[in-house]
Amino acid sequence: MSDDTGLVAERIRVTIDGTLLIDNVDCTVARGSLSALVGPNGAGKSTLLRALTAVQAPASGTVTFGNADLLGMPRRQRARLAAFVEQDATTDSSLTVDMVVKLGRLPHQSLWEADSPESAAVVTASLETVEMTAFREREFQSLSGGEKQRVMLARALAQEPQLLTLDEPTNHLDIAAQLAVLELLSSLRTTGVTVLAALHDLSLAASYCDHIIVLSHGRVVAAGATETVLTEQLIADVYGVTASILRNPVTGKPVIGFSPA
Amino acid sequence: MAKVSPLAFGTALGIALLVSITIAVTIGPADIRFDEVWRSIGSHLGIGVSPLTELRDGIVWQLRLPRVLTAAAVGAGLALSGAVMQAITRNPLADPYLLGLSSGAALGAVSVIVLGAAVLLPFAAFAGALLALTLTLLLAGSLGAITPSRTVLAGIAVSALASAVTSFVIFWSVDGDSYREVLSWLLGSLSGARWPAVGITMVAIIVIGVPVMLTGRLLDSFAFGDVQAASLGVNVSATRWGLLAASALVTGAMVSVSGSIGFVGLILPHAVRLLVGPGNRALLPLSALLGAVFLVWADTLARTLFDPREIPVGIVTAMIGAPIFAFLLTRRKSST
Repeated sequence: MSDDTGLVAERIRVTIDGTLLIDNVDCTVARGSLSALVGPNGAGKSTLLRALTAVQAPASGTVTFGNADLLGMPRRQRARLAAFVEQDATTDSSLTVDMVVKLGRLPHQSLWEADSPESAAVVTASLETVEMTAFREREFQSLSGGEKQRVMLARALAQEPQLLTLDEPTNHLDIAAQLAVLELLSSLRTTGVTVLAALHDLSLAASYCDHIIVLSHGRVVAAGATETVLTEQLIADVYGVTASILRNPVTGKPVIGFSPA
Repeated sequence: MAKVSPLAFGTALGIALLVSITIAVTIGPADIRFDEVWRSIGSHLGIGVSPLTELRDGIVWQLRLPRVLTAAAVGAGLALSGAVMQAITRNPLADPYLLGLSSGAALGAVSVIVLGAAVLLPFAAFAGALLALTLTLLLAGSLGAITPSRTVLAGIAVSALASAVTSFVIFWSVDGDSYREVLSWLLGSLSGARWPAVGITMVAIIVIGVPVMLTGRLLDSFAFGDVQAASLGVNVSATRWGLLAASALVTGAMVSVSGSIGFVGLILPHAVRLLVGPGNRALLPLSALLGAVFLVWADTLARTLFDPREIPVGIVTAMIGAPIFAFLLTRRKSST
């Protein structure tokens, strides 16, 4: 295997309070791709994402990225390689946007040193990528949901990760903000960042993602190229609804319509 | 909102602290001038000769200076502990007094004094503080998800129990003036502070407080909770328990010389946050400095306001702190 290997997870098991939530999952995410992790509520998407980045370490299994052992490496080194954006991150603190994004520099800094010019440049570039530069001095809590999500994305980018995982990044966002987030993730491909996002909206997943991993009851039931994985039959099996895969007349991308089974 | 530059604020506070200490030493029944204070201190450090008579020099060097320095150290330690606890528990109401640490520390201190093992005083106070904190968090956790309000409620219960046991131990063992003794532990008093108290509190500030002040970046990473902190490469449980234990240790050292003084740890970090913003790198050292200045003046008021009678300094801090605590509660009514 070359160093171009992306994320490879093998035999991941996660138990929380004695309940088996992730049952022997194998999955891969190709380097530089944008992949979606989909599945019904309670399928274990959040749990799997947290396990993959060792935010909550799995009970057993291995996770490598570019053949480096993600679970075994020191935390700070891992945080320089892999970033995680959790779902609906909230704070009581009156941090400014700038301070939130600077948090992403933590794995690159010692506790005592001042912010280096390089660090400041990364923060500025991250804010530019998500088009939030004008909001730099605003208080994070005063932002809209879509703006907050973009700031959290900039915070993750400030870690300069090669792997970016996101838990439901479009949750609670209006349509325009959902598209903005996915356009952004999509554009990260040009920078070589490997992106894995848990998504609820199958049409969004189908429109934007190269690969899809389908999780149900803690197991992977299908994985591969979006077109081949996301079939009407699979959606019926996993979600228990009737699905019709149509084409968006404008973009030509798949749109999925649902009706009760 | 325009914020004050942390460096400018810190410099101003540093100067204010030096000036406050000097002025506080001049204040009292025996009239001693500003320059006489410095020359007296100089003479004890081997520079020049004291301009004061032996008696007046003793008032400066043996009574007032150690008391004022202890007030500064205790104020710094309590404010720092409060700031750290607020960040690590994401609870704006966290404070060594409200969460029961101070009462636990007082109980530990009183117990070893009664047992005649005063040498262990700071350690017993630390053990008491840590035990009280653990009890508070366990109790808060058993009520459901640990919220700020539940933690404060649990802290009140633990605090009430520890205070009751402290009072009982004193009444049981001390003859004569036990009421005064009980009050000085429960309300906090610096009237007995001499050079050993300066030693204990300064060592705690330098050995534990200063390293803790340098953890601001780590504490910032907790702003969005444990998951984000972990994803940024922070060892969440080691950091949390390490810093809570350090807070308990500092609180224990402070309470072992002063009794439990309330509200210093609660309100001063909020005041600093209003002025310089929420970043913990500036907040921790500035809270400590402001706490030092605040308690120097609170204690000066406590010993001069009703001269010749002295009141416990905890009454002064509560008079100032309780209304501010009430204000903080009303501001939070939506989220508690």
